[in-house]
Amino acid sequence: MKKYWKDFFTAIKCGDIWTRFSLLVMGVGYWGHGQVVKGILMCLIELGFFFFTGKVSWQYITKLNTLGTVQREEVLDLTTLTKTVNDYDNSLLILLFGIIGILTIAAFVLLYISNLKAVYRLQMMKENGEHIPRFTEDCQELVNGKFHVTLLTLPGLGVLLVNIIPIIFMICIAFTNYDLNHQPPTYLFTWVGLNNFKQLFTTTTTVTFGYVFVRVLVWTLVWALLATFTTYFGGILLAKLINDRTVRCKKLWRTLFVITIAIPQFVTLLLVGKMFGDYGIVNGICSRIGLTQFLQNIGLVSHGLSYIPFLSKPGWAHVMIVMINIWVGVPFQMLSATGILMNIPNDQLESAKIDGANERQIFWKITMPYMLFVTGPSLITAIIGNINNFNVIYLLTSDYVTSNMNFANSNAREVDLLVTWLFTLTNDYSNYKMASVIGICVFIICAVLTLVGFTRMIAGNREEEFQ
Amino acid sequence: MKKKMIAVLLVAGMVASLTVGCGNTQEAANDTQKTDDSHAAETKSDDAVANLIAGTDGPVELTLWCAETEQYQTVMKQLVDEFEQQYPDVEFDITIGAESEANCKDDVLVDVENAADVFVFADDQLLDLVNAGALQSVDATFTYDPTTANSKEAVDAASVNGKMYAYPLTASNGYFLFYNSDYLTEEDVSSWDNLLAAAEKQGKTVGMEVSGAWYLYGFFSGADLEMYRNDDGSNTCNWNATDTKYTGADVATAVTEICKSKAMVDCVNEDAQAFALNGEMIADVNGTWATSGFKEAYGDGYAAAKLPTFTVDGEQVQMGSFAGYKFVGVNSYSKDTGWAMLLAEYITNEQSQKAIGVATGEGPSNINAAASEEIAAAPALAALSEQSQYADLQRVGNNYWDPAAALGESLVSGDYTDVQKLLDEAVEGITQPITAE
Amino acid sequence: MKKKLKVIWKHVLLTILSAIWLIPIVWLLVTSLSAYKGINTMHFFPEKWSLDNYAQLFFRPDTVANFPAWFRNSMIIGVACCIISTSFVLMVAYAMSCMRFRARKPLMSFAIILGMFPGVLSMIAIYFVMKLIGLTNSMLGLIVIYSAGSGLGYLICKGFFDTIPVSLRESAKLEGASQLTIFTKIVIPLSKPIIVYTVINSFLTPWMDFVMAKLMIRSKNPQDWTVAMGLYNLVQRTLVGNYFSVFCAGGIIVAIPISVLFIIMQKFYVEGITGGAVKG
Repeated sequence: MKKYWKDFFTAIKCGDIWTRFSLLVMGVGYWGHGQVVKGILMCLIELGFFFFTGKVSWQYITKLNTLGTVQREEVLDLTTLTKTVNDYDNSLLILLFGIIGILTIAAFVLLYISNLKAVYRLQMMKENGEHIPRFTEDCQELVNGKFHVTLLTLPGLGVLLVNIIPIIFMICIAFTNYDLNHQPPTYLFTWVGLNNFKQLFTTTTTVTFGYVFVRVLVWTLVWALLATFTTYFGGILLAKLINDRTVRCKKLWRTLFVITIAIPQFVTLLLVGKMFGDYGIVNGICSRIGLTQFLQNIGLVSHGLSYIPFLSKPGWAHVMIVMINIWVGVPFQMLSATGILMNIPNDQLESAKIDGANERQIFWKITMPYMLFVTGPSLITAIIGNINNFNVIYLLTSDYVTSNMNFANSNAREVDLLVTWLFTLTNDYSNYKMASVIGICVFIICAVLTLVGFTRMIAGNREEEFQ
Repeated sequence: MKKKMIAVLLVAGMVASLTVGCGNTQEAANDTQKTDDSHAAETKSDDAVANLIAGTDGPVELTLWCAETEQYQTVMKQLVDEFEQQYPDVEFDITIGAESEANCKDDVLVDVENAADVFVFADDQLLDLVNAGALQSVDATFTYDPTTANSKEAVDAASVNGKMYAYPLTASNGYFLFYNSDYLTEEDVSSWDNLLAAAEKQGKTVGMEVSGAWYLYGFFSGADLEMYRNDDGSNTCNWNATDTKYTGADVATAVTEICKSKAMVDCVNEDAQAFALNGEMIADVNGTWATSGFKEAYGDGYAAAKLPTFTVDGEQVQMGSFAGYKFVGVNSYSKDTGWAMLLAEYITNEQSQKAIGVATGEGPSNINAAASEEIAAAPALAALSEQSQYADLQRVGNNYWDPAAALGESLVSGDYTDVQKLLDEAVEGITQPITAE
Repeated sequence: MKKKLKVIWKHVLLTILSAIWLIPIVWLLVTSLSAYKGINTMHFFPEKWSLDNYAQLFFRPDTVANFPAWFRNSMIIGVACCIISTSFVLMVAYAMSCMRFRARKPLMSFAIILGMFPGVLSMIAIYFVMKLIGLTNSMLGLIVIYSAGSGLGYLICKGFFDTIPVSLRESAKLEGASQLTIFTKIVIPLSKPIIVYTVINSFLTPWMDFVMAKLMIRSKNPQDWTVAMGLYNLVQRTLVGNYFSVFCAGGIIVAIPISVLFIIMQKFYVEGITGGAVKG
């Protein structure tokens, strides 16, 4: 960091006229030292930047502190049926353009500093009589020594567009009052500091975000762990079963399970959701064979119900969701486990056998540790994936109605994960501010998990063991 | 150096994409503003429509969202064609989109500027749409006067603080009882007790989505308990009252009693229709959208009636309901407000409402259209108009739905111990203050 | 004898398990062949069989269902995404695995952090970013959304590249090959399994996603929808009673190209995941 600035100031101090002049016009330094094309490019970029900032983003950046003050007003001229609208502020656009504008400025400053340093380096090269690369040579460098720049630019821009900017935007929303009553373009929203976070941790009789948040969070974590490990072990066991020496037609069995992957997940989930509906086909069969009656007698189903509430009562729904997820996830896991099982170093297995280990011992002492080592990092990703697993919960519980008033008051349900809850908040109730707060919490949880998980998994220096 | 190239490309890319993007929108905005001004200066005649036609050059592009069913789409297409013929000098480009009325608000509010110019929505979404500034108020009308042509209730429902924000289209978005007259007599359907007894005797079932907040309201409002929206968006509710003629606890107990019947099925529309088709369910509380389904299921036995009475505290009490309407709204961000208003007027006028009523089985809000022969004869609409005297305008704040549904769920399953506590909690949720910051 | 019993027991277990896994699929298939349009809650197999659902799907597009158009849209988006995403993933993976530069480690951690943000949350923000560039309501916009961020999913691919011996690249370099040549002539030909894996995954995205598509495609004309959006719409409350078996037929049709792809690529797919995971 210190060196970064030191280099910059040396460049100013020791630079010749060209170098110093590029403090003002960025291309000049290249020009003066014999890199004309690059110089022109730099000038164009500088011009473009000032044009964009001055013409477009500056007007938004200046309004960032209030997020706009002029509310929309319209007048409909009844004699001509045409409408005039005042020049109103749109808080959303101000925030979005403000973010983009600031990012541009930051990028420009970095470019500006490195430009000066580069020019100074060029000056030194020239003074030392070294070869100054021509433009074509620079271009060639882009597919060789600096190939990573070429490779990363487009994907980087893409990530900036659909990941970074939206994420910064949503983080900002958590500190505003953007909700049902403050919806742009007609109305303005503004900064409210940490109020929303306070609201998340308050519980009164009607503001139940605190109560609900804790419960939804617990279920989210329980779900993520259950969903990940059940499918994980299920997949390994199934793969072991199919790959057993004595099992015939391995390919046939594998294909049978893989068929379920071929049908898009949302189709199977909707379908299974309908099958297990309160009046769905499974309930029809259960009541005909007397299972419903039996469950009522042993007290698992309340007497007021004429059906088994597979997906409509807490408890039942929680269990069913995990079961259905096993159904959805195991074939995937089976596929990848199959590959890994085949790769287990044979000598280890052989030597274990010679030592007289039985199959169970081999499984727990060699197969499982190997699997865990190989798939460890992907397990963490899987847990995070399940914390954010929107589809399974959303599609299976569309008919679920909570009977817990505290949940109802916060527009949540017992089966909601944090992500489905925040989806309901934005989609049905336009409560963007609370959704953003919840989103930030999800992020923090995932970050902590990853941190803990990765250090645990990787810290143990066991890499050599398996290589 | 490496860093620099990334940054260069980043900036260049951003500049390129962003200037292109926003340049366009701003130009467009300026353009419309300019044309608006020039029109206002040029013409100041009385005949607004003539002015509008004169001021229109180039094709008028409008989007209309209405329900996705085949019948709706066909009749709307026909009406739009007729509308276009009314103004032969103007070139129209009207697109009809399929949008379920229940989701209309959510879809419009995500991005008002890109929503349809004219859209059909259910009356309970009116306040949210007005609050978000998405609706163009009906400041003037040109071809007919909706305030006198439609029933007074419909006009009231379409107004907020005395200002009308939408054009009433149908008045049949409420609920009533479908039944199969092969199994049930008129006597049977007059009260829940008779209805359930008759159904139990024949081994059949009766359906109603009791756990749905919208239907549950009928029981409480029937017993003269109140629930309505305040101006700030919160609700007033006395469903837990202990000093009224029928206490909240009495009503709640009555609902649970009904649900305890073997014949009673708490189910949503699509399940009810399936049961009816199976021949299992011989009566269901539902709305006009289910008309064709029940007609098919019950055949010659198809009949409809007002909601039955139910027993509270030993007395028979008539169930209330929500009177529901469908409105046509004009987007206040429409680029062609004038034409959008004219189109909305056209599809809600007497002839259009009649055509829609005939095509879809829904009841017009237009007084003359509702009284016309082909409409008034339909059993569903007759039942609905019979029910209408017990129906209330649907003025409901957002906080009603989830707590009320939770209450319904508890009443249906009957797994509560202290009914008063349950109601207190529900009322607290329903009436929770709107946090204003 | 005991051993034989064990073998039989294993086969029986597999049969039971595969039956459990196949029941819903079978139900999907038989419902799609049912003459009754709604959900049949009484019988597993339809009472009357008919191919009408498929006929309706392909030849009678109406105001809510236009399957041929959906299929075409999803196909276009899927192919475009799969080309862009695959190249992005390969590019990023190569840069992170085979090249050494100062920002490499920080960029990798940054990518992990970005991946932890719930995607559902930023949807509305992505919508407005797309609106700024004027790409809402178009297939191009969806292609951008599905593929632009794909670079973040480079990890598995990087793991695979890591397993390619360094010596191969070193010797090519000594012979004067540029990084571009190494990338295109040496690394890519060696990475067939991982390419197949990436291709399948990115091709499937537009067939699965309905939430983002519903938000982005504002058009209410079924012609402009994708398969996922359209099929999801068919099971909404107002429509499910008349379209459930059509929905099932749609599910079956969508499964055909995907299963064909899967069966052909199964071998590569397994190698792809595991190869990448070994060092991921």
